[in-house]
Formats: sequence, structure tokens, C-alpha cells
Amino acid sequence: MSPFRHKSNVFGHYATLIVLALITLIPIWVMVSTGFKNDVLVQQKEPVWFLFVPTIENYEYIMNRGKFDRYLWNSIIVGVGSTVFTLVFGGFCAYALARTEFRGRVLVANSTLLVRMVPPAVLAVPAFAMVVNFGLDNDRAVLIFFYTALNLPFAIWLLFGFYKQIPVELEEAAIVDGASPMQVFVRVLLPLMTSGYAVAGIFTFRISWNEFILALLLTSRKTRTLPVGAAGFITDTGVEWGRIMAMGTLIVIPPLLFTFFAARQIIAGMTAGAVKG
Amino acid sequence: MSGVRLSGVTKDFGTVSVIPSLDLDISEGEFVVIVGPSGCGKSTTLRMIAGLEPVTSGSIFIAGKDVTWAPPKQRDIAMVFQSYALYPHMNVAGNMSFALRLARTPREEVRSRVQRAAEMLELTDYLDRRPRDLSGGQRQRVAMGRAIVRDAYCFLFDEPLSNLDAKLRSAMRTELAILHKKLDRTMIYVTHDQIEAMTMADRIVIMDRGIVQQIGSPRDVYNAPVNRFVAGFIGSPAMNFLDGEIIGGDTPAVAGDGFNLKLSGRQAEAARSHRNHRVTIGLRPEHFNVSGAGGTEASVFAPIELEVQVAEYIGSSQFIAARIRDVPITASIEVGPDSAPLKSGEYQFDTSRIYLFDRESGEAIARP
Repeated sequence: MSPFRHKSNVFGHYATLIVLALITLIPIWVMVSTGFKNDVLVQQKEPVWFLFVPTIENYEYIMNRGKFDRYLWNSIIVGVGSTVFTLVFGGFCAYALARTEFRGRVLVANSTLLVRMVPPAVLAVPAFAMVVNFGLDNDRAVLIFFYTALNLPFAIWLLFGFYKQIPVELEEAAIVDGASPMQVFVRVLLPLMTSGYAVAGIFTFRISWNEFILALLLTSRKTRTLPVGAAGFITDTGVEWGRIMAMGTLIVIPPLLFTFFAARQIIAGMTAGAVKG
Repeated sequence: MSGVRLSGVTKDFGTVSVIPSLDLDISEGEFVVIVGPSGCGKSTTLRMIAGLEPVTSGSIFIAGKDVTWAPPKQRDIAMVFQSYALYPHMNVAGNMSFALRLARTPREEVRSRVQRAAEMLELTDYLDRRPRDLSGGQRQRVAMGRAIVRDAYCFLFDEPLSNLDAKLRSAMRTELAILHKKLDRTMIYVTHDQIEAMTMADRIVIMDRGIVQQIGSPRDVYNAPVNRFVAGFIGSPAMNFLDGEIIGGDTPAVAGDGFNLKLSGRQAEAARSHRNHRVTIGLRPEHFNVSGAGGTEASVFAPIELEVQVAEYIGSSQFIAARIRDVPITASIEVGPDSAPLKSGEYQFDTSRIYLFDRESGEAIARP
């Protein structure tokens, strides 16, 4: 059914949507366009929105002298690593929560979200102290560890919901059909969970990819991720907006690709699904 | 010793005893229906046979083998679930062949067995459809097909027809009975619907609160219920119960508020020897009749006054909802298709068809 109940409302709805779209798109345009401006244009008092001669000098600088490849590699390792760990462990935990009966089960599942409400900035100082004491700073594994910890609650909560939708009878039918626990998981549960894992994966990857404060504190020259790398253009002699924006534009691309890929799995999962008969 | 045997099986959930003690002997090739109200432990029993639920104590034997602690895989059983539990991401052929594929059956054999089962269930045109593209009845068949393909020693059915509409349900009942003849396998079928039990079973197991009340053929449990529970559960519409007392010495009668039925034959004999005067009288709806109607040679009619509230015309007979004083009575009376709606007044009951139960224990004292 169309959410637009009355024709007369269509105009209002579209107006709202257009405003919301602009709020989202304008900053992105500012970022992309600034990345293609030279310093003079950037510092100009009257901003130029569309009509300027684009330059790729910012990109050239980033690629040749900004150690972009190293940051990218670090970000990919940290992002993919924490996503994999979050999905694997979060999946196990969500499954256990969905399938075992105990008092306060739903409360436990939902209260995992509380942990999520703690902003990383609050954790930054204790995390830094711990990591330095253990002598683990400047190790990418530490970032993977922290991002996994930060993302697990939400992933558990989300996957819990997905697992709960799969009737136990499906597993029982598979068991009676002679499937081992691993076969039940791989051949019955996993195909039905692709949507869930895709959604959880999108969120986890994006958050790990974008996270700044912990990455700033826990990395050094060798292990820096892209957002920290971009912040490196804030220098003593001024903020190099063109380069920051160019880098920002590049940073956005991998999560976009990842989201498109994962979103396909969501649709594939939905067509496979219709779990309820 | 073959077939399926449960010996001293008990089941507790925490501190709640769901099944106090259960002994059940099912012979090979038999179609046994376990029937009872919801929560009576029938599904738990089935799940224990399947190995999906561990027993608290006791033993289960399938085909002579002690499988009490064996996983479902090793029990040579196939099961049809109430919700069908079809794998949504597999098509019909995939669903039916899943067990065979897990067992690494050669591909050719898988195909031929799926084909054979599909033909038996008229599913050949749907083999590459997904479950969600099928109607309820078709899904039901796929669930059956998944079991048939296995060619298991024992088939377990957990209320498989309860999600179907009335018409389809009766059609599937017939098909299941035919299927049982064709496959000649032990089948254990759980339902709360006594009609399913009566129409399909070789033997019926009636359970209440975890205890087997009676085991017997449909004829046995209908004609000779051992207690009030079985009598009230089997038969449709359900038996009417009236509280009354045995009066009169040598020519006993049962009387209560608004009725007085003279007993004869077996009932009279039982009434004479029974010590407790307080009884419950069981009258099957189909044994009421209009005054003056004939019966069999054994029939002994007694008049009974009914205050009719509604008469439902259903063709050759009428269902009436009536009262004897405060007690609601249903009766199904054969009066022919052209009859006028039945009215309050005097009806007759064949007293050779009266059931008598002890009011305290509920045990049957006399029956036709």
C-alpha cells in the first residue's frame, strides 16, 4: 500500500523529501567540489558553488606524498578485520540468545544496546592508558579489537532479531533429516541469515571505517587509518581544506562499494526468505 | 521385537511433570494416532520418539533397538511438522531431497526417489517452485514428500493438517490413509482432532494430563470408553453428561433434575450392583430421537423432555441445542430433509445406549 494516503498530500511529502535530500547532499557536494579547488578558490570569501575550473592537484599531492596507500591498507585491514570478527562472534552470541530460554533473555539482548550508547570518546582515555601499559600501541590488532568490542552490541541485537524470525522447526526438520549441527548452520540457517549479516556488516564496516578518536590515539605513523591521515592536513600553518576534502572524497568510496555489494545480499536474502509459511 | 516401544518413559520440564509414566507398544506397520487436548503431552511424546526432546527416564525402542539416547539421525524416522518447516531457500525438489543429499545418496537415485514421491503426491509440476509460491495444501504435500523420500522405518506426524481449511483437511485425511496403505510403514500421528483420530487410526491413544486414558481401535474407544474423559473426547458432537442418581431397587432407573430414565439390560444390571448411587449419565447426541420413531430390536425407549433453543437444519438430520432444566444438551436427530424445525417437547432416548459413569472417579460403570 502506498504510504501516501491522500493525493493532496503528495506535494507536501515531496517537498519534505527534497529538503531532507538537500540537507544530506549539500555537505557532500561541498566536500567533493572543494577537493577539486585550488587554495585560492578555497580561501576565497565568497564561496563558489559550481562555476570554477577544477584541478586535480590535491589528489596528486595525496597520492604522491600523502602516504595514501599505506593509510588505505591500514583502514582496509582494520575495517574488514573488525567486521569479520563482529559478525562471527556477534552471530554466535545472537544465535545463542535467540535459541536458549532463560529469564530476562530479551532484556539481555536489548540491553546490549546500552553499551552501544557509550561514545568512543569516553573510552578513549582509559583505552589509551591500557594499550600503552600493555605496550600494544601502534598495533593494528588493537584497533580491530576495540572496533569489534564497540560494534558487537549492536550486531548482537540486530542478528538476534533476525535469528528469532527463523522458526526452530526448520532446524529440527534438518536435524531429523540427518544434518549435523554444522550442516544445520551452513545449509539452513546461513542462507536465511544473509540479509541479517549483510545489514550488520554494513553498519560495522562503516563505523570501523569512519572512527576517528580511538584511531587517532592508538595509531602511529605506520598504523594510521584514513580518517587520521586526513586530519594530518590540519597543520601548524593552517588547515589544508582542499586536500582534506579530496581525501574525504576518496575515503567515502570503499564503504559505498561495500554497501552496494552488501545491499544486494539483503535483497537476495529477502527473496530466499519468506520464512513464515 | 519390532515396531516402536516406549517403556516407563517420563518427562519433566523443570519441576513440572509433563508425563508421569508412559508405556506404549506400537507394532510394525501400524497407524497409531495419539489424541488429546492441548497440553496433554502428546506432542512431547512424539518429540521424544523423534529424539528432539530427551526423556527424563525410561527407554524408547525403535525396530527393536534401544534409541533412548540416540540422536534423531540414527533413529530411522521421518517427521512432518505442524508448520511444515519447509526450507524457504530451497525449491520443492531441494526440500524433498535434502535428507538424501546429506546422506550422500548417488545423484541418480536422489532424482528417481524424488520423482517417485512427487508423482505419489501429485507434485511433479511444482518441483522447481519455492515453498512461498505454493498454496497451503501444496506445502503440506511437500512436507509429506520430504518424509516419504526418506523411506524411513517410522513416520511421525505432529498435527500436520491443523493449518489447512476444513475441506482440504478431509481430503488430506483420505490421502494419508491411502499413503499408509501404499507405504506400509509404522506411522505415529499426533492430533487434537478426534475426527482425524477416528478416521485414520488403526489404534487410538487417548491422553490427558500426560496419562494414557485408553488405547484401542476407533470402534473400541467410541463404543466402550473406559471413563468420562474418553467418552466426552471421542464422538462428534460430544457426548452429553447429566448428573443423576440411581433409584429403585429391582427395576432401577436414573433420575435427576428434569429427567427419569428407566434402565434395562446391561445398564440395569450394573446399576443394581453399583454401590455409589451418585452417577453421571452419558447420552450421545445421535441416540436421541423424536417420539415414536423406531429403533433396532435391542432398543428400549424412554421419554425425555427437551427444551429446544435452536434447531440447525443440516440436510437429512437436525442438530438441536436444547436444555434439560439448566443442563445444555446437544442432539443430532435424523428426521429427513423435508422436516420442519424441531420444537421443544417430548423426545425419546434409547436407554440401551446409556453410558453410566461413577461421579467421583469418572470410571465407566455401564455402557451399551
